[in-house]
Order: sequence, then C-alpha cells, then structure tokens
Amino acid sequence: MSLEPFNRLVRLAARAFYDDITMKGDNQPKAGRGDNRGMAVVVLDALTRRQWVREEDLAKALKLHSKQLRRTLRFFEEEKLVTRDHRKETAKCAKVFSAAVAATGDGQKILKEGEEKTKLHTHSYCCLDYAQVHDVVRYRLHRMKKKLKDELDSRNTIQEYTCPNCGKRYSAFDALQLVSLTDDYFHCENCNGELVAESDKLAAEEMGDGDDNARRRRREKLKDMLQKMEEQLKPLTLQLARVKDLPVPEFGSLQAWEARANAAARASGDSSAVDSTKSSQGQGYGGTPMPFLGETRVEVALSGVEVKEEDTESDTKATAVKVLPPWMIKQGMNLTKEQYGEVMPVTKMDESSAPIDDKKSKDLKEDEKSRQDEYLKAYYEALVKRQKEQEDALKKMQQESETSRASKSDFSNGDSEVHAERQVGMKAKREDDENDDVEWEESPPAGNTGGTYKLADLNVEANASSDDEDDIDWEEG
Amino acid sequence: MFFHITLERNMQLHPRHFGPHLREKLVAKLMKDVEGTCSGRHGFVVAITNVEDIGKGLIREGTGFVTFPVKYQCVAFRPFKGEILEAVVTMVNKMGFFAEAGPVQIFVSNHLIPDDMEFQSGDMPNYTTSDGSVKIQKDSEVRLKIIGTRVDATEIFCIGTIKDDFLGVINDPGAAS
Repeated sequence: MSLEPFNRLVRLAARAFYDDITMKGDNQPKAGRGDNRGMAVVVLDALTRRQWVREEDLAKALKLHSKQLRRTLRFFEEEKLVTRDHRKETAKCAKVFSAAVAATGDGQKILKEGEEKTKLHTHSYCCLDYAQVHDVVRYRLHRMKKKLKDELDSRNTIQEYTCPNCGKRYSAFDALQLVSLTDDYFHCENCNGELVAESDKLAAEEMGDGDDNARRRRREKLKDMLQKMEEQLKPLTLQLARVKDLPVPEFGSLQAWEARANAAARASGDSSAVDSTKSSQGQGYGGTPMPFLGETRVEVALSGVEVKEEDTESDTKATAVKVLPPWMIKQGMNLTKEQYGEVMPVTKMDESSAPIDDKKSKDLKEDEKSRQDEYLKAYYEALVKRQKEQEDALKKMQQESETSRASKSDFSNGDSEVHAERQVGMKAKREDDENDDVEWEESPPAGNTGGTYKLADLNVEANASSDDEDDIDWEEG
Repeated sequence: MFFHITLERNMQLHPRHFGPHLREKLVAKLMKDVEGTCSGRHGFVVAITNVEDIGKGLIREGTGFVTFPVKYQCVAFRPFKGEILEAVVTMVNKMGFFAEAGPVQIFVSNHLIPDDMEFQSGDMPNYTTSDGSVKIQKDSEVRLKIIGTRVDATEIFCIGTIKDDFLGVINDPGAAS
C-alpha cells in the first residue's frame, strides 16, 4: 500500500479547506502576531510525513508551542482527519515508542530526554486516519454541492402565495385553510380571489421589481459559486477518484502500530533472532490482537524459553541455530531446516554413533507389529520401572547425551523431526506441563533398555503426531 | 419521530367516581382526555403506556371536584424538519397534494413535486409522469421529506417534498387494481 496518493489527498484537502482557519483562543483577538492562518496546513503536511507521532515531538519538530499544536490537533480530531491517543506512561513506554518511531525510519530521531524519570506522564499521540480522511473529504464535497444545488433549485423553500386582488401573502403552511372545495386552486381568505404562487410569478415575467431582481441576482451568484467550486476543487476530486480503488493505508491503533514497528525493527536488526521474533510477533500481535501485549513485550517471555533451550542444548549441541517448537512455526516463515529440527539430528548421527543407530532402526521396522502387541504390557511395566529409574536416568542422560541423541534420531524422517524436539524438551523438562506419558517415555532411552525403549518410542510418535495436529489448529486459529 | 416520554397532568375527577374504583376511573379518564391530543412541545400523544404515579388528591372548594396530579408514560409522535415519513395521499389539486402520516397533515406543493410529473385534472385528479409509469392520486402511499413544520398549540402542520432521491410513490393502489 503506497501512502503517496493519500498523502497528496490530505495535502490538497488541507489547502482547500483549512487554509485560512485560525486556531485562535477565544480571548485573544489581536491580529498580526497572533495570526496563525496556514498553521493547519503545515501541521497536516507534517503528519503526512509521519505515522504515529507523539505530540510533543511534533511540536518540537514544527517549532510550535505544544499548546498551539494541541489546539490544532483537537480541531482536526473534531474534523475527523486525525486520530489521537492518550495514555499514561513511564519513560520506559516512551522508549518503546521511540524505538518504534526510529524503526519506521522516517528520519525522525526522537530525543530521549527525561527517560530516567519513572513518573507517569500522560502523553498524546496523533496520526492521520486515511480511511476517514477519504470519507470526510468526499462527504464534505457532497454536502457543498448539494447545498448549492438545492438552493439553486429552490428545492427546500417553502412556497409562498399572494392574492392578486388584495395583496395578502400566504405561505404553504396555510394551505389547509386555503383549499377550496369548488376548484383546484387556493383562495384568499379575505376576498376569495385565486392565489398565485410566488415563484410562478418569477418564472412568468422577467421585467423585475426589486424583489425579483434580487432573487435573480442571488441565483446568478449561486450558479457562479457552484461553477467556481467545481473548477477550484477539481484537483481534489481528481485525486479522490484516483485514490478510490486503492487500499487505504492503515496504521491501526497506537499500540498495534508500535508493536508492529518494533518487531519490524528487530526483524531487520539482528539476523539471528529474525525468525523467532517474527513468529512471536505473529502469535502475539498478528494472530490475536491483545491490547496489552504491546507493553508486556511477548518476546521477553519467549526469550526465556529460548534461553532455557539454549542452556540445555548447549552441552549437547554444537550448532547455534535453534530448533523452533512446532507451535511457533507458521506458514510463510522462512526457516532453515535446522530450525525445523530436521537435519540436525541426522548430521549428528553421522558424526557420532552410526552403527548403533542402524541396528535400532532395523529393529524398529522388523518389530513394528510385534511391538504393538507387546506394547501395552511392556509399557505399563516400564512405567513403574521408569518411575524409579527416572532420577538416575536424567543424570545419566547428561553424560550420555551424545549417544542418546544419536540413538533417538535414527528413525524415518518424520520421526526424527519429532524426536529432535522431544529431545530438546526433555532435557529442558519443558514437557512437565504436558501429559505424563510423554515425559515417561522419554526417559527410557537414557536407561538404554532396548525393548522398552522401542515401545516408548512408538508412543512418543503417536503422541507427537497428535500434537502436531493441535499445532496446525493453533496456527489457523 | 416517536418518543416514549413521561408527562404529568392534573386530573379533575367528579365526586361521583369516588369509591372502590377511583383509580381505574382516573386512568380511563386520563386516556380519554390525553390520547390523540397534540401539544406543540411534545407532538401528538399516541398512546399511554403506563401510569407511573397518582399523587394526593386535592378537593376543590365549592365544586367538590378532586384534582389528582398524575404522572404517566406515553408514546408521542412529533415530526421534525428533515425527517423522512411515509404518508397516504388524501387530496390532490393543482397546487399540490395533501397527505397524512398518522395524525399529521402534510402539504406538498407542486414546486416540490418532481418536474417530470404533471397535474392531470378530472374525476380522479393526479400527478403523473409523462410516460404514465408513476401516478400520485388519492390513497397513494408516498415517501416524503419534511422541509418545514408549523407547530401551533394544538396542531402541527408540515410541508413536504418528494423532489429528492428515493422519495415519491412507494405503493400505488391504482397500479394494483
């Protein structure tokens, strides 16, 4: 969506309608110095070059007194050209906004002063509402035209009647009393003469007495005015027509915009965090519009998760690229395979302990059916066993992490993906909040008992696939 | 426009109604007195919906009548300038036509009828377009816009126009028959 046509529209409208509007207080009638005509145009022009802007900053940039600016903006708010937002905020919030502004890169660096203050200040922000500007301008033009045309056609005037005999005048309000039962005309109450409609007379004879002349002059004037209006507002109407089918630029509310801008900045900033922040963005702001997320900054929470993962992975994994949990992966994201967790385990496998893997994968395929039968029995046994062994297993796992990772990652492709994630989660104890089964089944590999291990794996697979379905729902919703 | 408002009125009740059904008598009298009346301020009182409160009666000296202050809710109808109304045509003549929207009389002068409609005199005077597709005669239903109201103490009279977008005949009995 390009802003330019809309900006041009705003600039044209500003010059057409707000050129000679003075933003004066009621109490100072002094001319000359107090004459601030054209300020409205300047302010609107400045706004076309910005998105959301704090009013103080705008005032500073325009070298205006903030009071004066506020008065102008209030006027524009009433005119529905500008949306404003007021909020109480600490210096920190202000910083978030400043970052957002810097991110939009409109060349405006916000001066970061007074940020050490922790007191709450009410700050006002303003932004052009392009959709509404479009509507307002169109409506205004329509009203102007309609008013002139109506007057020209004397459409909404109340008919007047005069009696040619006695000169008594009636208006249409008296119509009920004037109706005669004998014919189709109105009759004078005094002399019972036939009444003549006033404008009929005007149309009939052109030799004017003063009144008629005045009316005719007025008509001329109206026609002239209408013509002039069409002529002078032509650029504006042309621009309106041009803009009509374009998508209207939408900045959203202040918070949404701020969040978006910040996210964009981060995305373009450090490349390592691109995808994760983007996805967090998608979940937090894009997916479900939650007003307070703008301030709580979701990525902080997520980074917590990431840190956790990193910590636990750091000893097992050499590579820096993180595996994204499936619920963070959205359609249209540019992820490397490492981030999907696909390739990583395979490479690992190659490096470390291929022979073991081969065996196990063979086992898996051969035993698949028998395993299923065995499964239930063995599984419950294993449950009890593992419960005891779990503590040990976890400790062991740390030491044997290399081998266990390799052993787990040797299944078919889909499996391995799942496993990679499980593995990560397992060590971070991330699945503690999931159902117990998963946690359970994952401990076996550490224990290294072959039979139960396979069984457990099967189960993991099943669970994981169901999880995956859930994930899809998530993303769509 | 219709309003649901609360009004007050002092009701005088004849002594012969004093008895067990005093209240019902009072409400019946209120309805008879008020419904269908017109006040310049509130417009036409269409119907009483609820009697909120009946105050203490005051016996008037000499007559024995008792005055009760009564508070009641009612639906009132008041036409406004610029309002769009649907009305039934009651009379057509050369100067225009009269229409009624409930209790309100509206006059539409021939200047406020679209230029392509011409007056046709005769048994059934009417305004007709040149191709005869639209006809305004007695009992036609028209949608019109009020451009002026004259509000007297006991009467409201309106001037309407059908010379605007989406105004005019909405149901023509002549076409149906």
